Amino acid sequence: MLKHRLNYFGLLLLLLSAIVLPFYLPDYWIHSLTITFYYVIMAATWNLLGGYTGQFSLSHHTFALIGSYTSALLITKAGIPMWTGMVSSWIFNAFLSMLLGILCLRMQGIYLALTTWAFAEIVKTYIRMDFEFTGGDRGLKTPLFFKTMNPLPYYYLFLVFAVLTIIVIAIIMRSRIGYYLRTIRNDEVAAQAMGVNTVRWKVFVFMVASVFASIAGTLYGHFTGLISPVSGEFYEMALIIIFVVIGGMRSQAGPVIGAISIRFLAEVLKKWPEIRMVLLASAVILIMRFFNGGLMEFLRRGYQRIQQRKGRGPVSVFQKME
Amino acid sequence: MGVLYCLMSLGVNFIYGIMKVINWAVGEFFMIGAYVQYLLIVNFLGARYWYVGLFIVAFCTFFLGAFVQKILIKPMFVGIIEEKTEYATIVTIAMAILFRNLAILIGGPYIYTPPDYAPPTRIGPLPLSGNNFIAFIGTIVILAFFFYFLKKTWIGKAFQAVSQNRTGVLTAGIDVLKFDMIAFGIGSALAGVGGALLAPVLLVYPLCGVIPTVRGFEIIVIGGLGSIPGVFVAGLSLGIAESLGAAFINPSFIDIYGFGLLMFILLIKPYGLFGKPERSV
Repeated sequence: MLKHRLNYFGLLLLLLSAIVLPFYLPDYWIHSLTITFYYVIMAATWNLLGGYTGQFSLSHHTFALIGSYTSALLITKAGIPMWTGMVSSWIFNAFLSMLLGILCLRMQGIYLALTTWAFAEIVKTYIRMDFEFTGGDRGLKTPLFFKTMNPLPYYYLFLVFAVLTIIVIAIIMRSRIGYYLRTIRNDEVAAQAMGVNTVRWKVFVFMVASVFASIAGTLYGHFTGLISPVSGEFYEMALIIIFVVIGGMRSQAGPVIGAISIRFLAEVLKKWPEIRMVLLASAVILIMRFFNGGLMEFLRRGYQRIQQRKGRGPVSVFQKME
Repeated sequence: MGVLYCLMSLGVNFIYGIMKVINWAVGEFFMIGAYVQYLLIVNFLGARYWYVGLFIVAFCTFFLGAFVQKILIKPMFVGIIEEKTEYATIVTIAMAILFRNLAILIGGPYIYTPPDYAPPTRIGPLPLSGNNFIAFIGTIVILAFFFYFLKKTWIGKAFQAVSQNRTGVLTAGIDVLKFDMIAFGIGSALAGVGGALLAPVLLVYPLCGVIPTVRGFEIIVIGGLGSIPGVFVAGLSLGIAESLGAAFINPSFIDIYGFGLLMFILLIKPYGLFGKPERSV
């Protein structure tokens, strides 16, 4: 009981430091932290879909792109208020992902990944080609959420939504649905035999992940003030996967830690973008090959070892074998 | 153009049939093939001997693919990795990103234009770009060769057997792990030769493999995963759908019609035209 309370206390402390932090940072770092929170939302929801459920969507970034474009187009062309535009774009995305999910999640196997990969490229090409409507490669000017370029209010907005996303994912994973999702990943046939409606829950989790992606996308669009098909490049999707894998798949904190640490590394190495990507991709390959679990697993093992040295705490099977 | 994309999807589908692994980095093998061909033509061979380059490209990409399989994909089957699909997907995607950025790092983000393989020709009244013509003929020759290999030779028959039943084949004295490696090499070589053939048409740059890969994956889903006749039917129907859409609706959205066809096929035949539902034990 005390341990739980300590855990919550630690989380609260982290949140508090995240709230206080921007007062001591220059604007540039606040800006990049805000973008980091965007990636936190994306990576956490992709972890829900790809990590916990085992369904690989390769169009997570595309749902963000569609979300930002829909909301921006609705607001500028139809002249509706900001919140209505954003919410209707989320609903549109939910509908779209449900359609795509029903079409390609009926089968077992890798159909979702294949179809979403094609979907991502097609949407990007469409936005690029239909330049009279979407602005094409020049990008589309979006109205700003707070009517100001100062990143401070956006920082808090993104923080709120990132925390909200993490809480929603925690609730889902602790509920009955979370167990359904885990069984689907472990053995889909067995899950069906146990009476889990696998297709329904797969479509459900695909919808949840895509809607959160579009929420992140709309916020991002109204934060930067300019959206372009560049954020529909495959590079973005790869970044999300890199965050999740390096942080640790199938852990609640993994994507968050991964996104924050890799974004920090990326800011440090931003003079050499190619070397950066080469390093990250090799890191992902090495982690998948030799050490499945990422940073979180690494921390956990280190923590266990320290506990053991102190002479208390459980001894894991892994260490017993040694 | 439908026939040209068949090479890509054939490579992927062949690998999938043998190992149940999708090679997401196939576009990058395409790109590597194009780069190697460009280097060979400009530095050593000259544009007249482009067909010599094809063999060297096939050789190089075969060994690269086999090497990648040996160090990265093989552990899946020896019992080290538990999450097979997840592992293969993430590793090959990371590999794609790695190759792309290595290409940018080494060659720079420039577009290279290889010299033409053949001057523009005409067949009867039809004016035709020589490069397109050569790519078309070359693809058909390679496909015919591949089919001969698969249907008539002993090794090809062994491959068919491996794709039917991995355990059963072991009892017939076939080294499955070795065949996996060769299959991955052949799949990569198909993509690499495709890249070399299409180099003057699509030009050579780090992202030149993306568009053919999209088409390739569309063809795979339409035709059915792991089905080789499906590839041809799907490739043809994709080509027809695209040209019809371009002629009657709007030519600038040519990429979208294929996806529409894919959605339609998924709606009426979820496993593709020739695919079968997967069975798991």
